[in-house]
Amino acid sequence: MSTWDRRSFLAGAGLLAAAFGLPSAAWALDGLPDAEAPTDRQRALLREVCQLVIPATDTLGAGDVGAGDFVILALAHGLGGTRAPVDADFAPFRRSDGSVRHLAWLEATLDRQAGGDFAKAPQRAQVLATLDAAAFPPGPPPVAHSPWVAIKGLILTGYYTSEVGGEKELVYAPVPGRWDPDLPLTPQTRAISNDWTAVDFG
Amino acid sequence: MMTQPAETPHFDAIVVGSGITGGWAAKQLTEAGLTVLMLDRGRKIEHGDDYDTELKAPWDMPFRGIGDTERYERDYPVQMLNRHFTEFTQDHFVNDRENPYQNAPDSTFTWFRSYQLGGRSLTWGRQCYRWSDYDFGANRRDGHGTDWPIRYADLAPWYAKAEDFVGVSGAAEGMAQLPDGHFLPAMELNVVEQSVRAKIAARWPERRLTIGRTANLTEARPEQGRTHCQYRNICARGCSFGAYFSTQSGTLPAAVKTGRLTVITDAQVEKVDYDPATKRVTGVRWVETGTGARKAATSRIVFLNAGAFNSVHLLLNSASEAMPNGLANGSGVLGTHIMDHANTLSAAALMPGFEDHTSFGNRPTGIVIPRFRNLDKLDGNGFTRGYSFQGGALQSGWTRGKREAGIGESFKHELRAPGAWRMVLVVFAESTPRPTNRLTLSRSKTDRFGIPQLEIAFAHGAEEHAALADAKAEAAAMLTAAGGQVLFGMDQPGPGGTAIHEMGGARMGLDPATSVLNKWSQAHQIANLFVTDGAQMSSSASQNPSLTYMALTMRACDYAVAQIKAGAI
Repeated sequence: MSTWDRRSFLAGAGLLAAAFGLPSAAWALDGLPDAEAPTDRQRALLREVCQLVIPATDTLGAGDVGAGDFVILALAHGLGGTRAPVDADFAPFRRSDGSVRHLAWLEATLDRQAGGDFAKAPQRAQVLATLDAAAFPPGPPPVAHSPWVAIKGLILTGYYTSEVGGEKELVYAPVPGRWDPDLPLTPQTRAISNDWTAVDFG
Repeated sequence: MMTQPAETPHFDAIVVGSGITGGWAAKQLTEAGLTVLMLDRGRKIEHGDDYDTELKAPWDMPFRGIGDTERYERDYPVQMLNRHFTEFTQDHFVNDRENPYQNAPDSTFTWFRSYQLGGRSLTWGRQCYRWSDYDFGANRRDGHGTDWPIRYADLAPWYAKAEDFVGVSGAAEGMAQLPDGHFLPAMELNVVEQSVRAKIAARWPERRLTIGRTANLTEARPEQGRTHCQYRNICARGCSFGAYFSTQSGTLPAAVKTGRLTVITDAQVEKVDYDPATKRVTGVRWVETGTGARKAATSRIVFLNAGAFNSVHLLLNSASEAMPNGLANGSGVLGTHIMDHANTLSAAALMPGFEDHTSFGNRPTGIVIPRFRNLDKLDGNGFTRGYSFQGGALQSGWTRGKREAGIGESFKHELRAPGAWRMVLVVFAESTPRPTNRLTLSRSKTDRFGIPQLEIAFAHGAEEHAALADAKAEAAAMLTAAGGQVLFGMDQPGPGGTAIHEMGGARMGLDPATSVLNKWSQAHQIANLFVTDGAQMSSSASQNPSLTYMALTMRACDYAVAQIKAGAI
């Protein structure tokens, strides 16, 4: 392209996206091996956990946008370092390669801490907040991470890389067209979801 | 359109490789009137049309841009370690499983590669720095390696020509150790970087923080069909605006325009043919990667531009009865003295005081703090070469939430705004040329075509470790003086290859007994063979090397054409 025309560029981009629409995470879950496929209960649980981490406000929450299914897909493919062997005592949830079955761990841990079925526990937000606070203690990060650290990271990824999280909650500016090195930051300022520098180093 | 190979495959010149230097060789030689065959081992990528992920949003990608870790660990175990390797860019990197190499015992070299038309010109970091006489005089000064047969004055006019075509944005600073070039308007420092620049200058008048000099256009180049940078900073996906310099955006169209260029892709060159009777190379042989068929072409001159290590690989694999240790290796130094900058994150700091500032746009370059050690006096503690910093100030984005406690509405609200400003300084320390850092052909491992694999032996030495220790202390001192709160820093280099500045192996030198190439990038032993990529480097400096490769390539092409016209080669 030798000359730049924002309107035709974006129109072209939209057509391309429509023509080559890629499978959603939910669709991709059909292809998971049996050992990595979630139970219906786990899938519902994760949706609820996502929604507790990023609830609906003036924009949809992480559960609403399918972040849970992304997390399941991501865990099955080892994103976020989740197939790395761990030394800690997660014996009931370890795979033969030494990695943790994060979803099974989360289900059992939340049920245990809720004293029953987490999804039905009225205090479930508090239970999750307690688990979260323990995983991120003040001071330097602990040497042995709670599996929750990776799960939470994937929930945030699932949300902020969704169309709602990236474009409605934050600002998606695929073609900024200019560089403004110093602008006032006001209470209304929303972060750019595709600030690749911040995504890379953030 | 590119022309197809003719029935009789003879050309004035064959250029092996189509990356930064191959593109330049093809452009210069065709524009001088030569017919050129340019070969690349990878697939064809058409500018614009084949940048498949350029316009995709994360939600358009099956793995949201992060990619399938399971697949990467199987097919891209080395490439996945590259910060620029993502689901968006994965097809611009080589499949490690299909293209294996060997690490020598007790050695680890992460070799980042892009086998495709355009090579790593599609994925490079685009930083463009001139080298100075501190760099070209380094080997002579401390006795490591062999003296460069050229100095800055030999290259200065070629640097200018390269910059004029590439389009390099940057700020003139008048520093002897980082000569100014022909710059397009600089991209501005952000508010934190401006402050850090001022505070460093106040405390250390000889030190300068300046904007990275980058091959991204700040002014359009309509005559080249290139638009100015859109500040996306997703260059490695390919840029249909042509806003950064690549083979596809710059040199290839210029070469095609002459009507004298033939391009063959999916062609892995395995040997350069040599005629001992005439003491000349006569052409090259390659494998069609799709079919395994063997092909050949002849030419009057051969330019090797396969990338430093692959050009050396090709010379080693072109051994013959007449040259049993490798083509043009009468000296025995072919493959030795390979280098890569010692590279690590020297400091990361919180930068308080700018909470009511932000920026817009994704600037595709950071900052640089040019070398300040071992200039006119040797003031390095345990090292005689230089280092420089690159990095920048940035506001964290939503990803900070992965490291923080918090759930619920307040957490979501907090992540809605840009986060705290931080600044990082990444060091690139000069790599001392050593005979023990070397490339050889594996004696037991071959690739899928039966070609011996390359084996890499590499280790950073005491000088590099001393430089990185000093860099860590100085980075912390500068960021602290600038009001920052240092969070952490490292003084151990990543494995060789981390800087993606691998070079050397067919070094230039004055003496044919101790070097492979002369001052014209021409093999001492073979007058019609030129090596103008990173393989020719005799030392590494601490600057990014690509601009120097370009200048050396242009200069070598000019010389080769003059020699042809004079009937000398």
